[in-house]
Amino acid sequence: MDKRRVRNNIRKLRFYHDEMTQEQLAEKVGVTRQTIIAIEAAKYAPSLELAFRIALAFGVHLEEVFSYTTDDETA
Amino acid sequence: MSYRENTIAVSLASYLLILAYYVVNWLRMYQEQGLDSGTIFRLWVVVIVAGIVLNIVGNILTNIVLSIVHAIKTGTEKEPTFIEDERDKLIGLKGVQVSYIAFSIGVFLAMLSFVFSQPPLVMFSLIVFFSLTGEISGDISQLFLYRRGVRYG
Repeated sequence: MDKRRVRNNIRKLRFYHDEMTQEQLAEKVGVTRQTIIAIEAAKYAPSLELAFRIALAFGVHLEEVFSYTTDDETA
Repeated sequence: MSYRENTIAVSLASYLLILAYYVVNWLRMYQEQGLDSGTIFRLWVVVIVAGIVLNIVGNILTNIVLSIVHAIKTGTEKEPTFIEDERDKLIGLKGVQVSYIAFSIGVFLAMLSFVFSQPPLVMFSLIVFFSLTGEISGDISQLFLYRRGVRYG
């Protein structure tokens, strides 16, 4: 089985939303700032519900925030 | 370090202290007078009560200290919100799992003491010892998961 990981564009999306801080995003989606840090660093794959909440916070579709790819596909 | 990591670190420190106290006293008792049920029961009670009290006091102190640090950092008197989200819950569950596995292995090892013709007091002493090491291993695994990251499954 190829090694896929949940990756994300949260850093980029925060930048395009007036440099939204991790704290602000955390408050919007109801988690701690440490969880946002862990998700951004791909150290934690959020639940489907939290993933939807993050996409809603940015007003985009889920696939624009998260992807499930291998290292080769990302490069 | 997050709020949860701090509380786990405090819990780990208190369990390490209690374990050290237990092992030192148990060994002294064993060498000096052998295992006497009266004194060993007293030691178990002290260890169990100290475990509960130290954890409660430690948590209260951590809350107070973190609130003060938060107030100094932000310059407001607004109390910080220490919420527990899905990642904290997942790490907590994995910590409990590690604790139970470690404790179960410990209970099995404690029962092996009968094979070596040891009195029941030794077995129960070992069970208390492994319950403490189980808690410690659960706390260590949680701190490790906070640093390394955690996945479902």
